[in-house]
Amino acid sequence: MSETQIELARGNAHVDAAIAGACNRIAPLWPLKHFVAVNPFLGFTNQTFHATCATFHRVARIEMLMDRAFFRQAVASGDIVDEDLASALAAAPPQWRAPGSVAELRAALERGSAKRVKHPAVVATVSEVLDSLAGGDRNASRTAFMTDEISKWCAAYFDEGQSAWRLPARDMKPYAAWRDAMRYDLNPEMMGIAGFRSLVAGLPDDPVAAIEEVVRREGVPERAVEDYLHQALLDVGGWAAYARYLVWNNELFGRPDDTLVELLAIRVVWGFALFAQRRDEAFAAAWRRAMDDAALSPLDERLGDDPELCVDLIAQEAYERAYRRRLFAALRGGVASTDPRANVRPRFQAAFCIDVRSEVYRRALESVCDDVATTGFAGFFGYPIEYVPIGNVTGGAQCPVLLTPAFVVCETVGGATDDEDANILGLRRLRRRVAKAWKSFKTSAVSSFIYVETAGLLFASKIVSDSLALTRTVNDPNTDGLDAAAIGRLGPRIEPRIVGGRQTGFDGEQSVRMAEAVLRAMSMTTNFARLVLLTGHGSTTVNNPHASSLDCGACGGHTGEANARVAAAIVNEPAVRDALRARGIDIPDDTWFLGCLHDTTTDEITIFDRDKAPASHRGEIDEAIGFLSRAGALARRERARRLGIPAGAGAERLVFERSRDWAQVRPEWGLAGNAAFVAAPRYRTRGIDLEGRVFLHDYDWRADEGFGVLELILTAPMVVASWINLQYYGSTVNNRAFGSGNKVLHNVTGTIGVLEGNAGDLKAGLPWQSVHDGTRFVHDPVRLSVVVEAPLDALTDAIAKHESVRNLVDNRWIHLFAMDGEGSVSHRYRGDLQWEKI
Amino acid sequence: MKTTMVASSLWLAAIGPAVIVAAALAAGTTIAPSAARSNRIALRAAFCALGVAVASAVAVGILGTLATPTLGVDGIGFGLYLDRLSATMFCLVSFIGLIVVAYSRNYLEGDPGQVRFTRLLCLTLAAVLLVIVSGNAFQFVLAWIATSMGLHKLLLFYPDRPAAAIAARKKFIASRLGDACLVVALVLLHRTFGSLDYGALFSGSASMRASGDVPLAIHAVAILLVIAALLKSAQFPLHGWLIEVMETPTPVSALLHAGIINAGGFLVLRFSNVISLSVPSMETLAIAGAITALFGSVVMLTQTSIKVTLAYSTVAQMGFMMLECGLGAFPAALLHIVAHSLYKAHAFLSSGSVIDIARSSWTPSPGGKPHPARHLFAIAGVLVVALFVGRLFGASLTQEPGVFALGAVVLLSLIHLVSNGIDERPNAFVVVRTLGLACVVAVAYFSLQLLTARLLAGSFPPPHELDNPVNVAIVAAVVLSFAAVTFLQSLVPGRGGSPRWHAMYAHISNGFYVNTLANRFVLRYWSPAPANPPEATSR
Repeated sequence: MSETQIELARGNAHVDAAIAGACNRIAPLWPLKHFVAVNPFLGFTNQTFHATCATFHRVARIEMLMDRAFFRQAVASGDIVDEDLASALAAAPPQWRAPGSVAELRAALERGSAKRVKHPAVVATVSEVLDSLAGGDRNASRTAFMTDEISKWCAAYFDEGQSAWRLPARDMKPYAAWRDAMRYDLNPEMMGIAGFRSLVAGLPDDPVAAIEEVVRREGVPERAVEDYLHQALLDVGGWAAYARYLVWNNELFGRPDDTLVELLAIRVVWGFALFAQRRDEAFAAAWRRAMDDAALSPLDERLGDDPELCVDLIAQEAYERAYRRRLFAALRGGVASTDPRANVRPRFQAAFCIDVRSEVYRRALESVCDDVATTGFAGFFGYPIEYVPIGNVTGGAQCPVLLTPAFVVCETVGGATDDEDANILGLRRLRRRVAKAWKSFKTSAVSSFIYVETAGLLFASKIVSDSLALTRTVNDPNTDGLDAAAIGRLGPRIEPRIVGGRQTGFDGEQSVRMAEAVLRAMSMTTNFARLVLLTGHGSTTVNNPHASSLDCGACGGHTGEANARVAAAIVNEPAVRDALRARGIDIPDDTWFLGCLHDTTTDEITIFDRDKAPASHRGEIDEAIGFLSRAGALARRERARRLGIPAGAGAERLVFERSRDWAQVRPEWGLAGNAAFVAAPRYRTRGIDLEGRVFLHDYDWRADEGFGVLELILTAPMVVASWINLQYYGSTVNNRAFGSGNKVLHNVTGTIGVLEGNAGDLKAGLPWQSVHDGTRFVHDPVRLSVVVEAPLDALTDAIAKHESVRNLVDNRWIHLFAMDGEGSVSHRYRGDLQWEKI
Repeated sequence: MKTTMVASSLWLAAIGPAVIVAAALAAGTTIAPSAARSNRIALRAAFCALGVAVASAVAVGILGTLATPTLGVDGIGFGLYLDRLSATMFCLVSFIGLIVVAYSRNYLEGDPGQVRFTRLLCLTLAAVLLVIVSGNAFQFVLAWIATSMGLHKLLLFYPDRPAAAIAARKKFIASRLGDACLVVALVLLHRTFGSLDYGALFSGSASMRASGDVPLAIHAVAILLVIAALLKSAQFPLHGWLIEVMETPTPVSALLHAGIINAGGFLVLRFSNVISLSVPSMETLAIAGAITALFGSVVMLTQTSIKVTLAYSTVAQMGFMMLECGLGAFPAALLHIVAHSLYKAHAFLSSGSVIDIARSSWTPSPGGKPHPARHLFAIAGVLVVALFVGRLFGASLTQEPGVFALGAVVLLSLIHLVSNGIDERPNAFVVVRTLGLACVVAVAYFSLQLLTARLLAGSFPPPHELDNPVNVAIVAAVVLSFAAVTFLQSLVPGRGGSPRWHAMYAHISNGFYVNTLANRFVLRYWSPAPANPPEATSR
């Protein structure tokens, strides 16, 4: 895994470093077509959580902790007890100006959110100075206008298909394209920003040179340049994040990309235009003062200067300790020190994604079927594939975003001859072309009038059927343009074949290598049942721009269907079985794997390719379906409770209705509530109600020679879980800064992301409705607690070996714990490769 | 005797708006303390209103136009008037209202202001319904003003959003100008006819039409009504507020774009007897409508967010509807209002599906140059279709003026459709399918037009003949400019490099800067925005 870094080497080395530093602080934002969770603090993992709180406060006055009232409420309700406060207080570093005792801490919490003391100096950008002169009115200061203008231009430049007339210069690089547009665009001058076009034209052609010149002409002191640029980027933080995604994606494939630097240049030049038009003394004085302050700005965060922040940080720590106290107590209560089912062949096995939503279902399934064995593993089942839908030439990357797809798999119609396949594919393409012509008729300048007069009345029935959830607002993109008969037969093609000049499918050697790696990583090497269900997951929602955020993150914001089916099909091949046997994994001849999909909205499970299963297994499959449907009903009941649906006969129906309701803003809770990650054999946690809050990864260190799997778990699934956890954290503690705001105002732009309302910046993160039910936060803002059952030395080695992991655990973005051989949580990671006994 | 009975039972139609007002008043009180219960009551009320509307429509269908006498003084007061026009609009708006109320139940669940939202939604909806069923111009204007007040509050549903405040202020200015026009028109109408009762107004204007003697006051009334209508329907250049009202929840946009915005068109249709007496007013409508239609639809092509695209589309569609009114094609205008409302309500409520649409909008062909002769093919194909459809419907359409212009627009659209079907690698399947679609569109279009004209026969004044050169010039200009835009549209894909196109794009995508100037004006003269201290931006 690699986290890409932006580097620059031209011109003034100091400014170059500042530009790269500012750009590297921006976390990427994936487009809505395949939206995946991202740690919004990704650019800060090389400093501590605490310092980052201070940095955000210093640079942009952004809070990243809950307010005092939230913690006070937690104390009052008994969620946080004195023991938690005391231990959090004891854990605070000595240089903090922390309260002297629990009583003082309680008093500080009672005192409420005293206005945080201002740091002695804050780096102000042009927009901040203008805002403060305008009394905080961002419209009067024109800084809101600046954000709107940049955002509008970015939407036109990056547009993926909303507008019919595209920005003419979009094949140039962003800064050049923007300057081209600004040769003609009169809008800033119409708003009263005189000389805008000539100012832009007069600056250097090179974006880095332009930034350097602006920084020099504005007189930003050298030590403050990086913060200055970082804050400037935050004015258009959403688009910056999207640019960061483009950079990320290109660099995964080894292609350098400086889109973000170019965007920074646009923003800095815009700010300079606002700067240059103000010739009044009031502004000049305010600006001088801001730059003088900036010259004095502290180089470190000096947390000790801010006792109020220390109180909040300790309260946060206490809140997390309170959760862990309950979690560890639950773990202690249920733990079996040995596997009671170790030598019994399970009735059937079912592997699920580590996703916290799987925990609810697995628990339900185990409760209706005592001798089932369930397993947790990343939902792409180890297969990083690009899945090409029928008729398309390329497809989406169905793997964690830290990886690049290693295989191309085409969707095909099961059991079809080549001719039939080609016909279906050709027909879909032709239908697409007709649909395109019709869409153009619908959306073009003149024909849209006639469209309305001829087709408009048809929407009367469409509105009624959509309102009653009898129809979907638009066709499901996965099956659009295919006949119903073909839809039921769609599936991935495993056999190797050249399509469009690319190798697709898997050859014999690849199949064996992948199958072995995956089974070992899943700790699934012995005691196979007759049936093994590999269950990916996806969600069912309509009219939801953030739908892909509810799908499988490990499949890059797609459903896990294709990956699960590929994984099952490969390991069912007799040749692969033989080769695996030679490599020490003996899968009995009577074991059959099935690819399945868990619908996380309705808790139904679809089993694919049942017709391919041997006749001898039909009975077992039917029996498994019985257990799955009973488990689904139980799981739905639990979900209904969390969704606030009153218990009763109608509750199940209401859960299903949510998945089809075009007005539903909370079809399901997604991963809200996620708080912990456990990597251990399932028998350590089986029978414990973990409330759908825990990522469960099966891991048996005794079977992990050389601890390669352990390293894999810490570097991939744990990191992904932490991204998800911190995304929810950010969207909860400060939805305005790290979330995407109010869903009822969302306005999809460029088919990339959402604006909140009419204009403004692109919004990253989760909607407010995804973390809040209207009366309370449904997500608990806690950092991820990770419990791994493995020897301390092995853990220490793995941490030392991977800097990205070490950053996360040393800097307190994750709390790491070790479980001992008896199944109790025995050690806490202190940082610096040190452990302490609990 | 019979008419009295009908008149007194017609008052029952007032139950429609009345129950919705009652639901609004109940929201948040002890009757409906919770948001869910408020919504449930509102839903029942909206359902009841729709029932009343349908019953009224049936009654009008059987009995013909129904009217109550005016309750009031000197012809000024309250009354109800139901004919095919108002019955259609009554059904349409109460249907949209019902859908929007139902949608808001889950959409706003958990919003701390949901009760207030339901209340405002109901009040606004009831005001629109009152505009529609009113039988007296006085009541019409009162309800009209109430609608705009209700909408103003809905636009400021999230009062701390500065952009919402700016849009609401622009809307406020446009609305008050419109209100002033209407009030002056009322005074003039009362002076001229001695009453504001529709019966008196319509029979008075009919006798003026018969005598051919139109006093200056009526010209003034007509032009004032036209201005009020243009302001209400967000016509160029005062369209700016409409494209910025996405600062409020989606259902408000749906109600606004499908229900409230129609009030402008309804005003013109309702008073078409008066307005059509004044040729300059009709010409104003046609010109303003045509400019807005082209302006809105060209700017729409460059917009990058779904809701703003939809808003420009509404501006354009309302312009087209006004153009139809100006050309005297009143039944076509009503059809346009109904069809557009249904389409736009769905488009807004389903605007979250745009990602699904994008995911299925992959490009099936690898690109390349479009076929050079595709326009010729398209024109030939469409002419064949036109001949066929023309034969099918006979010559009955050509007797109406304005039909020439609208017919030309239909042909242009079909040419656009078919030439899009002939893409990079012409394929029989695609071409035949698009030609088939063109046939279906043509047949559907003309059947609907005929049907509407038949249903509304006698509801509107007969159209003018194309007798004066100004009229002919307007029709010619409309056809030519629509043709020019269609042509421009097919040129654009090939013009990426030309600096002139780069400049054009900049001007178009900014809506020719009209809205920026309006914003600057509002910021300059109506400031400050609600306090939004820097702290608020951080949490």
